[in-house]
Order: sequence, then structure tokens, then C-alpha cells
Amino acid sequence: MNDPVQRSRGLWGELAPWLSLLARRRGRLAGGVGLMALTLVSAIGLLALSGWFITATGLTGILLAAGVSARLGIYLPGGGIRAFAVTRTVARYLERLYNHDTVLRLLADLRGRLFGVIAGLDAHTLRARRASDWLNRLTADIDTLDSLFLRLLAPAGVALLAIIGLAGFLALWAPVAGLAVGGLLLAGWGWLVVGQACLGMAVSRRQVGLREALRGRVVEQLQGMAELEAYGALEHHRRGIEALEAELYRDQRRLGTWVALGNAAVTLLVGATALTALWLAASAWQAGLLSGPLVVMMPLAVLAMNEALVGLPAAFTWLGATRGAAQRLNGLREGVRQDAPAAQDRAAAPGAAAPGALAVRLENVSLHYPQAPMAALDGLSLRLAAGERLALAGASGAGKSSVAGLLLRQLAPGRGEILLGGIALADWPEASLRRRVAALTQHIDLLDDSLAANLRLARPEAEEDALWAALAWVELADWARALPGGLATRVGEGGRRLSGGQARRLALARLHLLDPDLVLLDEPFAGLDAATVAKLRPRLDAWLKGRSTLFLVHQLDGGNFDPPGIDYRLTLVEGRLGGYT
Amino acid sequence: MSGRRSGAGEASRWLLAHVAVERRRLGLAVAAGVLTTLATLGQLALLARFISVLLVEQAPLGRLAPLVLGMLALLVVRSLAQFAQERLGLAASLALRRRVRGELLDHLARLGPAGLAGHHSGSLASQLVEQVEALDGYVARYRPQRVLAVIQPLLVLAMAAWLDWLAALFLLLSAPLIPLFMALVGMGAERLNREQFEAVSRLSGHFIDRVRAVSTLQLFGRTREATADVHAAADDYRRRSLRTLRVAFLSSAVLEFFASVAIAVVAIYVGFGLLGYITFGPSPALTLFSGLLVLLLAPEFFQPLRVLSQHYHDRAAALGAADGLVVLLAENAEDLRGSGAERAGPACAAGELVRLEAATVSYPERGRVLGPLDLALMPGEVVAVTAPSGGGKSTLLQLLAGFLGPGQGRRRTAPGLRVAWMDQRPLLVQGSLADNLHLAAPEADRDAMTRALERAGLGTLLSRLPRGLDTPLGERGGGLSGGQAQRLALARVFLSPAPLVLLDEPTASLDAETEADIIDRLGGLAREGRCLVIATHHPALMALANRRLRLDPRGEPLP
Repeated sequence: MNDPVQRSRGLWGELAPWLSLLARRRGRLAGGVGLMALTLVSAIGLLALSGWFITATGLTGILLAAGVSARLGIYLPGGGIRAFAVTRTVARYLERLYNHDTVLRLLADLRGRLFGVIAGLDAHTLRARRASDWLNRLTADIDTLDSLFLRLLAPAGVALLAIIGLAGFLALWAPVAGLAVGGLLLAGWGWLVVGQACLGMAVSRRQVGLREALRGRVVEQLQGMAELEAYGALEHHRRGIEALEAELYRDQRRLGTWVALGNAAVTLLVGATALTALWLAASAWQAGLLSGPLVVMMPLAVLAMNEALVGLPAAFTWLGATRGAAQRLNGLREGVRQDAPAAQDRAAAPGAAAPGALAVRLENVSLHYPQAPMAALDGLSLRLAAGERLALAGASGAGKSSVAGLLLRQLAPGRGEILLGGIALADWPEASLRRRVAALTQHIDLLDDSLAANLRLARPEAEEDALWAALAWVELADWARALPGGLATRVGEGGRRLSGGQARRLALARLHLLDPDLVLLDEPFAGLDAATVAKLRPRLDAWLKGRSTLFLVHQLDGGNFDPPGIDYRLTLVEGRLGGYT
Repeated sequence: MSGRRSGAGEASRWLLAHVAVERRRLGLAVAAGVLTTLATLGQLALLARFISVLLVEQAPLGRLAPLVLGMLALLVVRSLAQFAQERLGLAASLALRRRVRGELLDHLARLGPAGLAGHHSGSLASQLVEQVEALDGYVARYRPQRVLAVIQPLLVLAMAAWLDWLAALFLLLSAPLIPLFMALVGMGAERLNREQFEAVSRLSGHFIDRVRAVSTLQLFGRTREATADVHAAADDYRRRSLRTLRVAFLSSAVLEFFASVAIAVVAIYVGFGLLGYITFGPSPALTLFSGLLVLLLAPEFFQPLRVLSQHYHDRAAALGAADGLVVLLAENAEDLRGSGAERAGPACAAGELVRLEAATVSYPERGRVLGPLDLALMPGEVVAVTAPSGGGKSTLLQLLAGFLGPGQGRRRTAPGLRVAWMDQRPLLVQGSLADNLHLAAPEADRDAMTRALERAGLGTLLSRLPRGLDTPLGERGGGLSGGQAQRLALARVFLSPAPLVLLDEPTASLDAETEADIIDRLGGLAREGRCLVIATHHPALMALANRRLRLDPRGEPLP
């Protein structure tokens, strides 16, 4: 529902990127299919051979009782029966283990691939998707796609192989029976796979969307309960929830009915095919073409096929859910920054910027987010000379973070020109841009990892001494030394185990390690107490000498919390400049 | 959160009570399951009979046609019964989930805004949507199968015993083991489920963590390393979870093994018996018919248990979900709102909107947070409520709105009093601008809505929107800035005819300019004779007031 404009590329077009990902592990997939097939063959063999054996012994017993001398080798079939019983169990166990291993490997591939895609998204797309709902749905979609092999491809493939194998095996003794069994089961397979998939496609595809919509309505009801109750609109809004639920359940009822029909069809198909096999085998027997035990073996072998077909209706009726997940994940690629991959490969551009503080120039820059009613930036021009400090003030939504996103090349301008150190920003090689331009963002991202790992994001090769120096610079060294884990202390999910102020200081320490030439600081002292600010402010002032600095602030009040050493101030109002002061 | 954690027993009792409501449908599902087994037994008997008549009596095919027709008829019965069982389970599950969600929504509405304050709306929403959906498999499949896993093997066993008691004994020997199997399978499945769930959620956590920080990773140029890291973490979890899977899969392998061995043992016993090698017990009486039928029954004996073991994880999922839901439902709304009798107390004097008489509000964990307080509100008044943070400002507004009941003292309102509400996080519903305005006044026409938007300062925006009032707002109000969203909430206040307007820090997250403008427009609201109660610490808002109410940190009024 987040991506209203998505072109449909057809089932194969949507699944193709993921199938090609699967294909990279084709050896393992083949192994898994082989084990599944072995399990199935053992199950069919066990029942068929047992039936053959009992009939053979029964008929021999009758002859013996009648005084006719008859012989039956019992050791070979007896051994076969025992062998099938053991292989069925062992193969099933190994198959489950092996295929779960495969699935987890595929999961690693999928996540790696997707993370690569997400890493190329622009700042606006990422900000809009920070919500945990989106993240939850993303992981749910990955898990759904993850079942592509184990729930869909493998069972359908194994069933197809088994049908062909069984038909061929039966045809060795009774070609007509083999053909009939093969024909019936193949037609049934076609229905269970293709028919059920077509039947459920549209409905199962919209399940996730409906569930999301329901969730959205519920969140509204909960977050807006004060307003809804005050205005007496709770009941009205609740009816909206119930309408969505009814729609969701109407679809689930349909899908459930189709699955149940498919399951009943499996029973009918297997039963009717077994009867056909029985009838044809009986005719062949009466014509003297077939022995009695083989007559019994044929329908029993067909009956054991139930195991191969039983999972297909549910899996394929819900194929649309997998397709929907693939479609949403494919949609992610459409938000990938156009310049990003190219930038990675770009060699050092002609005339790389001179070392030292970087000058910044924005010329008539405009930025309009898709689907926003108004432009975020409208013909903005500003200059920052090398080594100077500019404070850009403005309310939230005035366009400050858009300016930052542009300078950090996490957004691309719709119109206008951006120069960094005299060179067009778009021409900067990625590596040197990331080394020379750094930002303290409003929202601090910390990895659920150690203090050291979070600091080393800025400089992976940094020695411990450098890390301690950086911590000392933001007054966190004493605190970190007192922790039992020291630098190895984990900061928790999103840095939850740190206070907001500690997280901000850790992010500042990270910048300190990087030693950049242009620094963007969004409210550098937000959430810090006065005593800490009093210590950090002069240090920051000293550190910023020789670098160009852009401060982003809500408003300046001339107090101690204002960033140090501002040369110019500028106010942004709804994407336009208010003026220099 | 209530902090109290209910035991697993309570969760399963609650779940069973809901299941009991569906006992008719589930009972029918079980009946359909039994019919399936009876048809299957009949079918197998006819099959064995067919073979026996064909091979032993050497009858012509014509004589066998009725047997085939009988098998076909039973096959149809069996498929229909199977279909019915699934449909009935599904219907029960849908009805149960709808009822549970309704119960939860009712409960949350009773708790109201005050009761929900301590909850994270995202996780509550996931309880109401995902957790309720997680009950599906348990109701639709596990419950009927649990009964069938006892009845169906017994039916099979009875038939086997009638044919050959020794063969039935082989099956029966494994019968005392069935509870053991179930426990084994159950423990295995539960453990498997838990381990898998933990591994997957750890893995998802790692992935989500890296996705959240992706912007920062971009800034430091570390996305490639992070991608490798994501892959490595997933691979590490794979190796760890395989270690537990190796053990967990064993339990179902045991069931599989017994099922296979039972078929093999019965086949060999019957074979030897038919050859006349076994001379004791019922063996000499074995015929091709009875021998074959016993063989065909052996897999049917174990099949219901195998199916049950497949549905076992549904049970674990449902119990997990029920655990959380029971805790939520245990939160008492009566404590917060006061009893119904108090709420419908005597009306206040004519001309007054609300009157509080020595009213207090207390929370079980925090003690008294407000009062005792006397307060009468008249039309046209603007009252600024100030207090240190946590000092009961919001509590007072909630008490005035009726979201909370007075613990002691009384709250009296004018008959049929309507209230308008605005706080710092305006509600934006998915739909058009008009849908969002309709919330406050369902009967308002388009002119009134346009006027309300103009009065709230959204006139320019409206004139720039090609679709005007029908412009859809994106998910969670996407496309509106914070200030615009707040103005929309203000437009709702203008549109609503409510004489009492409660405002909780209405300008807290706005920039100075928007804030000044909105305060100005609030003054217009007061001038049309409405009573405004504003919880704030902002001087400009306080200046709007003609009365001030200061509360101390304990929520008592200061002179």
C-alpha cells in the first residue's frame, strides 16, 4: 500500500530475480529434491512391495494348502520391506535437516541481496520508511519469499518426477495402466499447481495489503482515541475497522474453501487413479499378461502418491502472497539512487578538490519529493566559504534536512547545481566524499553492537588509543572505563542502553575520529546537560577550525546551547531563504 | 502495562472458553473427520475384497463392477467429508477471531485514552491484528485433530482386531506409546518452534538494526561491509540453529519410524501367516482378504498422529498469542473510569458546562496525581492549566473529558455535553481531507468544512489542491507537515459544535511562527463563546487565558 504506483510485470517477471538467486545454489537444491524423492520412493515402495508380498504369500499359501508344491523366495521381498521402512525414516530425517539448512542459506542470500538494495535508497525514501511497520513487513516479505523453494518449487517438482517415475514403472508391466495412471495424475497435477494458483492468485495477493490496511486503521483508533472519543466518532471509526476485517475474512474464506476443494480433489484424484489402475491391472491379469501380486502392487503404489500431492493445494492457492512479497521487494529497487552505483565505480574525477576545508555552493536548487503537495526546497542558493561556519535555522519541515541530504548526496536535486570544493557534487568519487564530508544527523543511528564497533564505523582501522581519545573528547571516557565490558560493551538495539545525550556524544566522537573537511551538525548539543555543553563547546570550537561547517538549528537564542563560532546565520522558511544576518 | 503476568494456565483457559463457543462447528468438524475415516475403512475393505474375489475366486470382471462402484461412492463421501471438516474448522476460526478482536476493541475502548497512555500503539496494533490471526491454525485444525487423533486410530484398531487380533496387538503395542509419542512430538515441535522463532527473530533484529542505520552507514561509506555483515550473521544463525534442529527433528523421526516399522512388521507377519509358517493364534485363519486389509490399515493407524504433529506448532503459536492477550484483557477499565453510576451523576447547574467537586484521580502504581480539586467551567472562559511536568495537567483534561473517573469527589456535566479535543499529536485517518473533518461533525456540509479549514489557516493550501476537500491524505497523513496536521486538528475543533474545548499542549511541536498563528486563531474560538481549557507552559497561550489554574507537583491546586 506504500507503493501505489507499481507496474505489474507478470508472475515470472516478478519472481525471476528471486529464482535466479535460488539458482545460485542449484547443487544444494537438487540434493534436497533428491532426498525428498528418496523419501517418497521409500513410502511408495514400502506399501507397494508389502501388498505384492502379501498377495504372493497368500496365493502361494492357497497352493500349498491344496497340496501343490510351490515356492516363494521370501528373503528378498522381506529384506526389501525392511529396507524401505528404514530408508523412509532416515531419508525423511535427513531431508528435513538438509532442506532447513538450505532454507537458512537462502535466507542469508536473500537478506544480503536486499540489504544491498536498501543501501542504495535515497534519504527521503529511507526516512519515509523508518517506521517499524515497514521494517516488519519487509522481514515478513523476506520470510515469505524464503518459502519459495521448500513450499512451492520442491514439492511440485518432486510430485512431477514421482508421477513420471511411477507411470514409467507401471508401464514396464502394464503399459496401458502406466499410461492411464500417468495421464490422470499429470492432469491432476496441472490442476493442483496451475489451476489452484490461478484460482487463488488475485485474492491471496491482496491478503497482505488488507492486513496492513486493517493494522493502519487499528493504529488510528488507538493513537487517536482521545479525539475519536471526544468527538463521539469511536463507533463510526470502529465500523471502518470491522468493514476491513469483513473484507479480509471474506477473502480468507474464499481461499480456505479453495484449499479445501483442492485437498478433496487430491483424495478424489488419487482414489480414482488407484481404481483405474486396479481395473486395468485386473483386466491384464485375466488376459494372462500380469501376475496376481503385481495387480495388487499397482493400486497400492498409486495410493501412496497421496503423500506427494497433499501439500500442493494450500501452497499454490496462496502463490499470490509470495508474488505480492516479490513485487513489493522488487519495488524497493525503484527507489535506488540513480547516481549511487555509478558513484562507487567512478575513478577520481578530473581535478579532485584541493585538500583542506571545502567551500560549498548551492545555485538555485529545488527539490520536490514525489507526491508531496509542495516543493521542499524552492530555488535555494547559498554559499559557504572554505573554513567558515554557517548556521541554517528553521522550523521542522522548513527544508534543513533536505539541504543536508543534498550535500551528503543522499538526495538528488530536481533542479540547480551543487558545488563542493569547486567541483560538482555529482562528480565526487564516493570514497573521498565519505572521507571528507561528515554529518551529525538529528536522529542518531547506533548499531546493536559494541561501543568500539560503533566508533569504528568512522575509521575501521582505528587503534584502541584513538577510540579512547575520541571518547575522552566527548567526556565519555570515564564512563566507558567504569563499564565492566569497556569498549566491548554493547549499546543495545538502536543504542537503547545509552541515554539520548550519551548517544549524541558517541556520534560526535565518531565524527572526531573521521577528521573531515566539511562538517554538518544538526543541533549538536540537543539533549545534553548544561555542564557537558560547557565542556564540549570550546572543544568543538577548536576542532572545527580549519573545516567548513554547516550548523542546522531549530532557532538560535544566543545562549550557551548555540553552536560555537557562527560566521553567518540564515533562516529557511518553507524551502526558501529568509535572509543572511 | 499492568505488570502482572498471567500464567500459561490462564491463557489456555481463556482460549478454551472461546473455543467452547465454537463447539457446534468444531463438533461437526470432528464428526466429518470420523465419517472420513469410516469411508476410508469401507473403501479399503472393498479394495481387499475386490482383490480377493479377483485372485482367489477368479471371478469375471463383471461381478466386480459393483465393488468398484461402491469404492467410487465411498471415495466421493470421503472427499466431501474431508471438505466439510476443513470448511467447518475455517468457519469456526473466522468466527472466533472476529469475536476475539471485537472483545479486544471493546476492552480498549473501555480503557480509553487514559488507559492506553502506557501502551505502545504499534505493539497493541500487532496484538489486535497479527496475534489474533495467530489463533487460526489452532482453532481450525489443531482442535478437531486433537480429538480425531484419538478416535480415528481406535476405529482402525477395532477393525484390525476384528480381522486378526494378533496383528491388532502389534498396533496396540504401540498404543501405550502414543501418549509418549505425542509428548515427544509435542516437546520436539514446541522446542523446534521456539528455537526457530528465536533464531529468526534474532536474525530479523540484526537485519532491522542494520536497515535502520542504513543512512548512517551510507554517510560513512560502509554499506558494502554492512551487507557482508548481514550475510555473515544469517549464516552464523544457520549454523547455530542447525545444531538444535538435529535433535528437534528426531522426535518426529521416531513417529515416522514406528509408522514405517509397523507396516513392515504387519506385512511380514501376514506374509508368513499366509504361507502357514505361523501356527498359533489367529494366524492360520488369515486369508488374502483379511491379510491385505490389515496391511492397508496399518498406515491409517498412524496417519492421524502424523497430521496432529504437523499442526502442533499452531498450538504453540496460539498459546503464545493468548498469553499476551490475556494480560491486556486483565487490565481493569472500571478502576480508571469509575463505575457507570458515577458517570451518570446529577447534572450541574444551568449555565455551567462541567463542575468538579473535590475530585481526585489516583493510579494504583503512582498514588494520587490530581486533586482534591473544585472547578466550574462556564461558556466563554479560557482557562490555562499549568503544572510541572507530570503534575496532573493532562490528567485534569482527561477527567474533564470523561476519559477518567474521579476516584473521590464528583464530576458533574451539563446534559448531553459535547467535547472537542486537540493535543500535540493530531489524529490523521487514512482518507480524504473531508473524511478527516467529518470525524468531528458527521453532519457538516462542504461549505462548513471549507470555512473551518480557512479559519484554521489552511485556506491557501486548500486552494492549491486540485482535488480540494477530496484530496487523499497518504498513510499516517503523509504529505502534510507537522504544522499543517495541527491546523487540520484545529479545523476539526472549529467544525465541531462542542462548547467545551480541551487542548493539551496544542502547540508543543511547532515552530515559533506557526505557533503564534495558531494561538491567534484559538483566541477566535474563545470569542465565539466556547470554553477553552488549555494545558500548557507556554507564555503566549497563558496570555490568552482569562483564568489560570496552577497545580503543584502532587496535582493539588495552588492559590
